[in-house]
Amino acid sequence: MVSFSAVAKRYPGGQEALKDVSFALEAGELAFLTGRSGAGKSTLLKLAAGIERATSGSVVVSGQNLSALGETALAVLRRRIGFVFQDHKLLFDRNAFENVALPLRVAGFPREEIGRRVRAALDKVGLLAREKALPIALSGGEQQRLCIARAIVNRPSILIADEPTGNLDAEYAAAIVDLFISFNQVGVTVMMSTHDEASLGRLGCRRIALDAGRVAAEPQAA
Amino acid sequence: MSVWLRLHRHAAADAARRFAAQPLGAAMSVLVLAVAIALPVIAAIALRSAGALTSGVETDPTVNVYLALDASDADVRRVETSLRAHPQAAAVRFVPREAALAELKTRTHLADLLASLDRNPLPHAFTVRVRADEMAKLAAAREAWAKLPGVDQVVADFEWSEKLQRWVRFGDRILAVVAGVLGAAVAFIVGHLIRLQVLSRRQEIEVSQLIGATAADVRRPFLYHGLLQGAAAGAAALGLAWAASAWLGSELSALTPAYASELKVVFLDFGGIAMIVGLAALLGLAGAWWAVGRELRQFSPSDRNPRAV
Repeated sequence: MVSFSAVAKRYPGGQEALKDVSFALEAGELAFLTGRSGAGKSTLLKLAAGIERATSGSVVVSGQNLSALGETALAVLRRRIGFVFQDHKLLFDRNAFENVALPLRVAGFPREEIGRRVRAALDKVGLLAREKALPIALSGGEQQRLCIARAIVNRPSILIADEPTGNLDAEYAAAIVDLFISFNQVGVTVMMSTHDEASLGRLGCRRIALDAGRVAAEPQAA
Repeated sequence: MSVWLRLHRHAAADAARRFAAQPLGAAMSVLVLAVAIALPVIAAIALRSAGALTSGVETDPTVNVYLALDASDADVRRVETSLRAHPQAAAVRFVPREAALAELKTRTHLADLLASLDRNPLPHAFTVRVRADEMAKLAAAREAWAKLPGVDQVVADFEWSEKLQRWVRFGDRILAVVAGVLGAAVAFIVGHLIRLQVLSRRQEIEVSQLIGATAADVRRPFLYHGLLQGAAAGAAALGLAWAASAWLGSELSALTPAYASELKVVFLDFGGIAMIVGLAALLGLAGAWWAVGRELRQFSPSDRNPRAV
């Protein structure tokens, strides 16, 4: 579903975020990306989601080599990937419903379909009662869930989340992780990053550890 | 309904909504644009009116040679012989004074007045079609004909009408230049206004691109906005121009009965109106394209954009 081979990413200015990264994720898999801040987790996830392009090497998602795609094709591919941004990227001048509806409006869904899907997504993350609320009126955890609702509203086959539990307390974080696990259980390929390995202790799933831009090890869960 | 159609409908509705959300701001921008468009439109109307004035005038290169009222038949024959022999004369037609009077009676409303005169006030005349290839030779010919015995005056109508037409053509050129400059100004003003819109929606554009909006998707509502703004400005400019020409026209028509009937303001025809509105809309579209294109490049999440998202 997602495969990196010898991928490197160098930002203008010389900063090398990723060096020779190779791994493959099967369809329906759930993988955690671990590593310290600055290890390259965010960069790797952005490359996988087609938000940035690799400097060298190849990134293949859903059978498509992203470096071979033009801008427009890449944008269309992004519609099939749900992405939960570290900084949420919510629009603060529109309410919860409109924020979640954005991907559907971009894709040109009919109005009734948008209403149905947005409410289903909000329901899934427990925000159905807050559809009229502006993001500013939501708590940090609620904003995170709103961002997740927007990522899943398009029913993507791949869900990528960048530190979705970052600023949340342990209880909230566990609830979010459970949410991703539930998506994975209905067949969605999930990839999420965390710097908080302790919270994964209880989970027996795949981990990809990044260290200074390289895949350090792939400790398999026992 | 197809997705494509729905996307366009949404973009158009979005643009219209934004227009309506700030009625005062929208009206002001449209007015600014309308003033810029109205200037060349008013100039075009003035030129059309001047053009209409000259189009009624003979532009064939003919010279009228009027004889003195007391010219004898012998004078007429002598003049005719000299004219026919002249190398600059292509054709010579004699207009006897009786025929001239009869023609004047039928062509004007002066019949009563002319009937009250006890004698014919018109002289014999020759209408000479000249070879107007060389102005210097023609001037020499006119001078020579004026000196013939029995000739009172030599009049070349086509010269002043040609001169006027030349001025109108010159005016057309000036109009084209002014229209070009102001048209560019309109595109830039729209571009700037759209750019402000784009900047105020920067975050929305960025997020939309991140979740799969293509450049065309981002551009679409702004293009409709520019199109709408341009078309509205074109219509408003026509309104301004119409008001201006009505105001001038009323003054002009007060002069008309005493002067020439051709003197009136000629407003644009339907094709001209459609062209102004269409052109203004296109300029708005071009301005919007330019504005969004500039901002899009900065937002582009590919590696052409160094800014980390």
